[in-house]
Amino acid sequence: MTNVRSDMTQAQADAWRWIGHSGTWWTGAERIGIAAETRRAATCALCAARRTALSPAAVAGTHDTSSSLLPAAVEAVHRIRMDSGRLGIGWYEHLQAGGLSDAHYVELLSIVAIVVAVDTFRAASGLPMLSLPVPVAGEPSRRRPAGAKPGLAWMPTLAPEDRSPEDPDLYRDSPGPRERGGGNVHHALSLVPQSMIHWWDMFETMYLPAPAMRDFSREYRAISHAQIEFLAARVAAINQCVY
Amino acid sequence: MDGTSDVGVDHATLLGAFAESALATAAEPLGASRARLMEAIGEAGMIDAAAVIAGFNGITRIADATGIPLEVPKAEQTAGLRADIGIDRFLEAKSW
Repeated sequence: MTNVRSDMTQAQADAWRWIGHSGTWWTGAERIGIAAETRRAATCALCAARRTALSPAAVAGTHDTSSSLLPAAVEAVHRIRMDSGRLGIGWYEHLQAGGLSDAHYVELLSIVAIVVAVDTFRAASGLPMLSLPVPVAGEPSRRRPAGAKPGLAWMPTLAPEDRSPEDPDLYRDSPGPRERGGGNVHHALSLVPQSMIHWWDMFETMYLPAPAMRDFSREYRAISHAQIEFLAARVAAINQCVY
Repeated sequence: MDGTSDVGVDHATLLGAFAESALATAAEPLGASRARLMEAIGEAGMIDAAAVIAGFNGITRIADATGIPLEVPKAEQTAGLRADIGIDRFLEAKSW
């Protein structure tokens, strides 16, 4: 039997269960659809052909899908899952023209990332795949942070200094000092604060919380800081991540 | 194999092979690379390595799918390195 740290087990279980609940812009059933589509993309013939093409734009066709999601949402899920290193702002704007709003896109992205991370972890560790959660009835909250501004990313982001009392504690300002927000990537999902919180609460148990990342006086995991950063760099290179 | 590569990280060769197998970019089956890594660093080490690989397999998608730029100080500090290893060419592959 494989022993997994309890904090990470709990964080992954929480993130997985949350997929089935209504989010900020998608219902629980739609969010499960996004998760299912994330898995389906791995065997999509169009995605496979595009991935090996010099330019994905050169390959026409339709994705293998059985979901009722908007075609722009299916395209977003499949490209993010299968060819994220070649995404550009023109592609993102094409999705928006297809009816996928910036906030819907950000929440969708957080679900894809959680499914990719959890599935990758379980496969790598030799653990069986999890069944998708059962959707929970409810309506999305549809709350957009008033302080979100364009400029940093393709979509508006909510900087720590622009957070209002109505916004959740997405940068972990409480009890202080702030634990998130030092890197641009912390801002990436901030247009949908709950999605950002769910991702980072899970991710930090898999990697390191920011204070631990910068604390070289001790090791927090069974592998060293150097080994962690070596692995992170290797994965980023394989995925052709330019960040 | 002494488990140490020229990058100065303990068991870098095994860790790199495990990452490549986990992301299906290596010929070696995942079970084999996992077993070799566990023999070297134990189960807890393998689990934490799997977690980092998996977490970064997710967060690289978040970074690339939002167009988040590298922080200016980091970009300035790594300009020479990025030019030397050709990482800036990744940007040329971004299409639509």
